[in-house]
Amino acid sequence: MKSILKAAAFAALAGIALPNFAVAQTAGGAIDVATIGEPPTLDPMTSTADLVGIITQHIFETLYTFDANWAVTPLLAADMPEISEDGTVYTIALREGVTFHDGSSMTAEDVVASLERWLRIASRGKQAATVVETVSAVGDLTVEIRLNGPYAPLLSLLSLNNSAAIVIPAEIAADDVMESFIGTGPYQLAERRPDQYIQVTRFEDYASREGEANGYGGARHQYLDEIRFVPVPDPNTRIEGAVAGQFDYVDSIAVEAYDRIAGGNTDPVLLAPFGWPVFVMNTAEGVNADVQVRKAIQAALAPHDMMLAAFGSEDFFSIDGAMYPEGYVWHTQAGTDPYKPMGDNDLAVQLREGSSYDGSPIRVLTSRQYEFHYTMAQVAEAYLEAAGFDVQLDVVEWATLTQRRTDPALWDIYITHSPFLPEPSLIGIMSDTSPGWWVSDTKHAALEAFNAEADPDARVALWAAVQEAVYEEVPAYKVGNFNALAAQSPELQGVVPAPWPYFWNAYIQE
Amino acid sequence: MLRAALNRLIGMLTVMAIVVTIVFVIVRVTPGDPAAVMLGPDATAADVEALRQRLGLDGTILQQFVSYVGGILRGDLGQSIFLGQPVTTALWLRAEPTFFLTIFSLAIATTVALPIGIASAYWRGSWFDQATTTLAMFAASVPSFWLGLVFIQTFAVGLGWFPTSGYGGPYSSLGERLFHLALPATTLGIVSSALIMRFTRASMLDVLNDDYVRTARSKGMSEWRVVIRHALKNALIPILTVLGLTAALLISGAIVTETVFALPGIGNLIVSAVLRRDYPVIQGALLIVAGLYVLVNFLIDMLYLLVDPRVRY
Repeated sequence: MKSILKAAAFAALAGIALPNFAVAQTAGGAIDVATIGEPPTLDPMTSTADLVGIITQHIFETLYTFDANWAVTPLLAADMPEISEDGTVYTIALREGVTFHDGSSMTAEDVVASLERWLRIASRGKQAATVVETVSAVGDLTVEIRLNGPYAPLLSLLSLNNSAAIVIPAEIAADDVMESFIGTGPYQLAERRPDQYIQVTRFEDYASREGEANGYGGARHQYLDEIRFVPVPDPNTRIEGAVAGQFDYVDSIAVEAYDRIAGGNTDPVLLAPFGWPVFVMNTAEGVNADVQVRKAIQAALAPHDMMLAAFGSEDFFSIDGAMYPEGYVWHTQAGTDPYKPMGDNDLAVQLREGSSYDGSPIRVLTSRQYEFHYTMAQVAEAYLEAAGFDVQLDVVEWATLTQRRTDPALWDIYITHSPFLPEPSLIGIMSDTSPGWWVSDTKHAALEAFNAEADPDARVALWAAVQEAVYEEVPAYKVGNFNALAAQSPELQGVVPAPWPYFWNAYIQE
Repeated sequence: MLRAALNRLIGMLTVMAIVVTIVFVIVRVTPGDPAAVMLGPDATAADVEALRQRLGLDGTILQQFVSYVGGILRGDLGQSIFLGQPVTTALWLRAEPTFFLTIFSLAIATTVALPIGIASAYWRGSWFDQATTTLAMFAASVPSFWLGLVFIQTFAVGLGWFPTSGYGGPYSSLGERLFHLALPATTLGIVSSALIMRFTRASMLDVLNDDYVRTARSKGMSEWRVVIRHALKNALIPILTVLGLTAALLISGAIVTETVFALPGIGNLIVSAVLRRDYPVIQGALLIVAGLYVLVNFLIDMLYLLVDPRVRY
């Protein structure tokens, strides 16, 4: 097991390096990618689900995307935008010769219509709509976005592949309901047989960027003739499919299956770290409306034991209070002192006694859709009870959880997880209306300064203040960093471990 | 016979009306929201509410019920919230794997269960009877998901004879698609065979000691003829009942088996619809399933009349 991280690091390095040798690869072949299920939609504007982003990023493209270092890089835009001195006008030149899957050429008119649709219906678009005044075409291939004030997260919002600002033909963008799935991506939708497969085939008129592949950016080589996304909802069947070698790539496998995968016909691929489990606190109503109670909970929890119970081995998680792990520009330990790997029961008791806690049960809303959520909840229950809290685990299935969490009367803590989003202001608790409803002057002061600052280095410093506010007011409790496991055929090359795996630079080695 | 059929038909319509109402109410009072599932984890409450309006889920339950019943009377089961297609189309697309899975499972189950059930009744109390009874108990108690995983590990992963899951890709022929059903059909066939075996044995035991069987033997008929022509024919009614209900159960989608083997059948459709709260699909699928049960019961009742003229309704 100790070799796992080494192997993962090697796999990651090999994966990153491979596209540099892309010229040596030959085109052709098809791959089957086992996914966790059928996506709820193929319109990535309307959903923030990772599965939707994973599949549709092959069909649709955005103006910008993220490179290997999670920096914004142009995709359909010709270059980075020209931003006015006051940070309120973004002038975006578009690439020439970009063709939609229906054969029409992409123009500024399409981009404007697409962005207007995004601002109208996408949850991230609506977030941006509060600052966007106008989107207009200022030429056949130039678009201008005017803001009512500087807003640094805009480019990241335009780059994400879920709730995504995809560019589609203007006539399709006019309708809120997408019925034709016409994008500019390297692969086009050929057939969708729900619960059986989603088949995308190489788009022959695709205009790739020049240069080398770089994360989600750079050249997209389209080596494969087609990619088939096959839903395999049962996690055990996905493992068996990986061991048998039935699929070229199997997404989202429980880390406990690492050894079993390693002994099979496909190779394990570890993305370390992938994301962070989080206990979101209901700051609006109930016992957690008192920040002292939230601080007591923060002190009571022992993330090491919670992560160990959930992931089984330290090969698959790390204990880290920073909201971004090392390797991200946003990584900082500012404010993380209250994060204690083994908890601090004495402090928790002291804080609880000084709070308004009246013995009411803390209702922890969780689901077994992700078993590690439930396991962590059980460990948390033990630690919270040791600190004198009464705990009530409300275990429901995921659809019920997503509904109940929108009602502040129904829960005190809910458990979820997230990949490390490239832009911190996109984290759920940063929105005042996100379940948890964290609203405070401290938050607003720190976040507004962070969002208004355009200079990347200055933003890094300002992020530390936001993280400090999170630890000071405890709107959520980050448990740690966890790794994700996938499996990949030894013949499949060119896949870079990523939170949203992509296959436009993948190829089959003969 | 015609009067009996008419009586049964009125009963069927009543049952269906009750089913429509109960399913609608249960689906609506179950917690969960399709709009929240569709929008994903980062959606705001306002986004969810806006989508609910767009999907027509913001009306009162009564308004939605009236609209739903009106649709059914027009032959319209509604539009799937997630699949972007009519419910009838979604069900039709899932029919092929479920239909063939039913046929194969039933074929396996009856091929195994009928002869063994007859033989264990004929040799009642023998070692054969005891062994097959034990096997039937095992088959009846084993969970289908466990047996499915054992088959996957043994025959797909270990021996590599069959695919682990799925129903073929875009270019798979019918033969290749059906090949994907080998393991799930065997799983279901074995699990279903236990009940059929036990019913066959019990039913045969009832008739083997009857006077007409003794009379047939005393007339010098061969044992084969006595058992198959006389005893089995009279033992068929309860066997037909259990065969019919097993078929209805399988047609309506072997929910667990289809999920384990990732088969795009009706059972899988129901599971994903429930998890996403795709109300029109849940309602439509359950309506069809209930209709199938009612229809199968009706056909069985009619078969009784043919098999045994003494039966009256």
